[in-house]
Amino acid sequence: MHHLWLIPFFPLAGFLVNGIFGRRFSKGLVSMVAVGSVALSFAWALKCLLALAPLETPHVERYFMWIQSGSLAIPYELSVDRLTAIMLMVVTGIGSLIHIYATGYMHDEDGFYRFFAYLNLFMFFMLTLVLANNYLLLFVGWEGVGLCSYLLIGYYFLKHSASTAGNKAFIVNRIGDFGFSLAMFLIFITFGSLDFQKVFEAAKAVPVEVSAGMMTAICLLLLVGAAGKSAQIPLYVWLPDAMEGPTPVSALIHAATMVTAGVYMVARSAAIFTKAPIAMETVAWVGLATAVMAATIGMTQFDIKKVYAYSTVSQLGYMFLALGVGAFSAGIWHVVTHAFFKALLFLGAGSVIHALHHEQDMRNMGGLRTKIPITFAVLACAWIAISGVPFTSGWYSKEAILGAVHHHSPLMYWIGVATAAVTAFYVSRSMFMTFFGEYRGHAHPHESPPVMWVPLAVLAVLSLAGGFLFNVPHILEPLFPVEHGGHDIMLEIIGSAAGLVGIGLAYVMYVASPGLPDSISSSLGGVYRLVYNKYYVDEAYDATVVRPLVSGSRTGLWQFGDVWLIDGVVNGMGGFARWIGGGVRTLQSGSIRSYAAWVVAGAVIFIIAAGAIAGSNGGLR
Amino acid sequence: MLDTIFFYVFALLTIGGAIATITRRSAMHSALSLIVSLLGVAGLYLLQKAEFLFAVQIVLYIGGIMVLFLFVIMLVNLDQAAKERQFNRQWLLGLVASVLVGAQMVWMLNSAGVLSLPAAVPAPAATGPGNIEALADLLFREYLLPFEVASLLLLVAIVGSVMMAKKTS
Amino acid sequence: MLVNFTPPSASEYIRVLPEILLTVGGTILMIAEGLAGERHRRGLAPMALAFLLLALGGAVVAGMDPGPAFNNMLTVDGYATFFRLLVLIVGILSVLISGSYLTRENADSADYYALILFSLCGQSILASANELIMVFIGLEISSIATYVLAGFLRNDKRNNEAAIKYFLLGSFATAFLLYGVGWIYGVTGTTNLQEIHRFLTSSESVYSPLLVSACAAMMFVGFAFKVSAAPFQGWAPDVYQGAPAPVSAFMTAAPKAAAFAVFLRVYSIAFSGLTERWQPILWVSAMATMVIGNFAALRQDNIKRMLAYSSVAHAGYVMVAVVAHSEAGVAAAMFYLASYAFMNLGAFAIVTHYVGKGERYVGIDDMAGYARQQPLIAALFTWFLLSLIGVPLTGGFFGKFYVFKSAIDSNLIWLTVLGLLNSAVAAYYYLRIIVVMYFHEPTNETGAAGPVPAGVRLALIGSAIGVFVLGVMPSAVLEFANRSAMLSR
Repeated sequence: MHHLWLIPFFPLAGFLVNGIFGRRFSKGLVSMVAVGSVALSFAWALKCLLALAPLETPHVERYFMWIQSGSLAIPYELSVDRLTAIMLMVVTGIGSLIHIYATGYMHDEDGFYRFFAYLNLFMFFMLTLVLANNYLLLFVGWEGVGLCSYLLIGYYFLKHSASTAGNKAFIVNRIGDFGFSLAMFLIFITFGSLDFQKVFEAAKAVPVEVSAGMMTAICLLLLVGAAGKSAQIPLYVWLPDAMEGPTPVSALIHAATMVTAGVYMVARSAAIFTKAPIAMETVAWVGLATAVMAATIGMTQFDIKKVYAYSTVSQLGYMFLALGVGAFSAGIWHVVTHAFFKALLFLGAGSVIHALHHEQDMRNMGGLRTKIPITFAVLACAWIAISGVPFTSGWYSKEAILGAVHHHSPLMYWIGVATAAVTAFYVSRSMFMTFFGEYRGHAHPHESPPVMWVPLAVLAVLSLAGGFLFNVPHILEPLFPVEHGGHDIMLEIIGSAAGLVGIGLAYVMYVASPGLPDSISSSLGGVYRLVYNKYYVDEAYDATVVRPLVSGSRTGLWQFGDVWLIDGVVNGMGGFARWIGGGVRTLQSGSIRSYAAWVVAGAVIFIIAAGAIAGSNGGLR
Repeated sequence: MLDTIFFYVFALLTIGGAIATITRRSAMHSALSLIVSLLGVAGLYLLQKAEFLFAVQIVLYIGGIMVLFLFVIMLVNLDQAAKERQFNRQWLLGLVASVLVGAQMVWMLNSAGVLSLPAAVPAPAATGPGNIEALADLLFREYLLPFEVASLLLLVAIVGSVMMAKKTS
Repeated sequence: MLVNFTPPSASEYIRVLPEILLTVGGTILMIAEGLAGERHRRGLAPMALAFLLLALGGAVVAGMDPGPAFNNMLTVDGYATFFRLLVLIVGILSVLISGSYLTRENADSADYYALILFSLCGQSILASANELIMVFIGLEISSIATYVLAGFLRNDKRNNEAAIKYFLLGSFATAFLLYGVGWIYGVTGTTNLQEIHRFLTSSESVYSPLLVSACAAMMFVGFAFKVSAAPFQGWAPDVYQGAPAPVSAFMTAAPKAAAFAVFLRVYSIAFSGLTERWQPILWVSAMATMVIGNFAALRQDNIKRMLAYSSVAHAGYVMVAVVAHSEAGVAAAMFYLASYAFMNLGAFAIVTHYVGKGERYVGIDDMAGYARQQPLIAALFTWFLLSLIGVPLTGGFFGKFYVFKSAIDSNLIWLTVLGLLNSAVAAYYYLRIIVVMYFHEPTNETGAAGPVPAGVRLALIGSAIGVFVLGVMPSAVLEFANRSAMLSR
């Protein structure tokens, strides 16, 4: 017993303390409880992992039988293996840093205690998700993080757009959850258990040909769930809007941790996925398409947080691409490095926004390099990491992914390389527009306090050296054996070049000749507008799904069912009667009669149906 | 033979009375038609040699309940209501619905072979304990609980109707 | 004849203890009001509560000595005990939220509590009925009392409309049930559920399967009406919306649970030999109920009407478990009804308090900014709504989980898919209330509701604990449901 339960328990305790007494606490005390609980959780996780090393096989702790009924037996079990260990370190480590940052960033906001209570609750659910040893407990965490994300997106609830965005996130995620829960039921009937070890043992024993259909169904449904949480096509639409939430939330939930839950879940279920090649291929293509689409949208946005949001969607697509081609460890590696540099990008953007008094439009920035030098310095580290400049953290994981993709399909590889160039381009564009040139805004920029930039500095170091320090594929070797041979120098040169080309292009367009972007966008005309308007996906969803659903439920069911059908029948009958009798009577349907008509109609239909099912051979038996 | 003739006479009374009950405009006529219908049912009971039920039907339904009905109708000026223009008279729809349900029943019973059963044999003459005794035996022994619980049903109905009739404050 | 008459034994009387206590309690309440006069009306609710608690104890005592009673008219097994306890708990919670409501509407009266007790007595009979005659009488007692309750505030037009609608349509649907019972007696010569089963499955008996199917279909009309399953759900939104709020709370939980109890018992005992005949009908009905309930709820602006449609939708989920036709399905239905009772009562308790005198604030928008006036109550409301959505760690989640698990065990893949899709849609309209409470500015109109009265407070705490226990530690209840789900044939 290493008391793993303490890891999620600390944030839960923090949530309860801040949630119940926070209103009476001073801000300092609230911050201490919130940051302290997460830091304790980090420390305890570290202690457990050191004690458990080298952790070749999963370490499972059973606390009590959660549900025992008939064939269903679900214990409350937490487990750690190397994959969990990595996720634990990322979640608690980066979580701690972001909590510290948030105490500075949120200092002047209303409902300070409420914010940290939600944030701690999020940590609790996220850690439950990561530590769970069965699908049901994972689902508890899965739904829980979604709920907290909803609460935190809507945190600025006075802004109408914020509560709309929260709603959108919740509802899109429900579609994903639908897929996940259905997959869970199928797993249960296929393997007779929801326990990870049992399911994966059973899945490994199944030959590919035997139950490929069921495996594919399970995996595709899991993919629906993962696509909801990790913002993949077609369910990605909520993530950009989720940026309405406070910046630390964007960094923690919508960049570093929660959105990678889908990637984690697919990697966790690798044993099932490897038995379903069709599903794997789908995962890869969904990931690639998302990566391309989101990256191109990222090139055209002006809101600094929106740029990074689309960048997150795009990078998540990269991770799915890796999973799809079977490079699970490369995907997880990218989860880790992405957590470093994307959290840093968001926090840095937050620092910029903070400095400019809530200005988010990049067209009103520029020249900030000299005004907020520390922020610039740390952001530059994230910039080169995400652009894939050699030997930064992003470069390692990106090259690992691209290498595996090349092994799988050269076509996908070249699309991936192009996307890498686009990625480097839009990040550089945001950097140049923000920090170079002339200052175009009106506010008076001021550097953020140390409580905000110290966590940034830590993340900056990790962004630069993270790939070098943590060789994730090597750590995950016992779980996901690396198949294909060593590094191909040629591929690495191509990949690195793509990033540098992207940076160079952005330099030409936004620093060397600033008039260029406008002339390009105007010469592209329709294409530019299409991309700028995010391919009109939101509008398309609204027109094809949301509006028909909502209005359809009124016109369709209510109007069709109650008004048109019943009244129509009743009135039609009335008209018929009038025609026969020739009498002149106003006919108006009373609703009791409509309902009675339904009862009779239902009875007639059901009795006929029962008769028909019984067979028309009416004889006796 | 004579039984058959009587059966059809009573059946005609029952159905005819029922139709008249729902088609007459005057409440008084409706109530009187209902009495005819109930009389027909009572006759059918008699044909089945269920003398007790026959007596109960006459005494309770016609003697008790229907007289109460008539009192109420005479006390409350329902003729006024009858003269008012009536909305929602979708008797055609009602007709279609009942014909449909009726046809269905006939179809069911017919295909089940009930209609082509051998000609009805007259009910056996009562031997041993009489009709009433047998009924009492069933009611107070086997169906004791439903019999008692039915009184609760009546109590609830009384409470309900008293409440509905109470003057609104 | 009287020689071989054996009077019912003492243990048989004990098995109907809850019914006896409820009847006596209701009668005493009515007499007490007459004796004590109008000034002592404050004591009525506590008195009703005392009787309900006694009956609850009676149900436990009765459940400890299971067996048939009164010539097999009733059978007290774990299943019956489960539903007796469930409806009694619903009764207690409903009485708790009624007191302040009736005082506010100036309608304090012993009749109200007596009718609740009588209605519960009918439901308690339904839970244990083993005979179609008992089923009918129990159903009528429960229904007539509820008809009157629905129209309790006689000065309120909405109440009158609800009562008359419910009464007329209810009687109409019950006629189908009664006709089905008559036919089944004609075919099998018995009204006892076990004997019907024995007759229908015995190789010696001669009967027409067609006729029996028709009986099952006609009885289904009656039961489906009572549980508000499609296409017989039409009355439900109107009646639940029009009735006084605490009565709606009661109606959506207790009579519905009891009707499901007897529905399940009749179909899994008497008609269990004919599964393939009625299963497709129930399949269609379950699907339609879910779809109509959820989609119609999407655009409701009246909070009571929305909860009414939601009640229809939840009946649809329970129907899925009925369609599964297995012990797991029965257990899932039992668990679902229990968790629904708590979350629904909780939500209605808040609505009961919030609507104010004359039920003026029934719009969803009237709840704007409620979270800032009453943070704790709003949080509880959110908790109930999340449970209605089916978010993990609430009773609603496990309810859905078991229901769909039982469905998929019975190979009802498509029904499960449709059901899960439906529950995804359902999130939308529940969420709307949360959004309005938390993310909208309060208007001048709102906030008329004062502090929450003690009764409502108690009911809220009770429901919240129920939802929590069923959501976090469902094992005990599920285990009980599972053990009781083996309906004796």
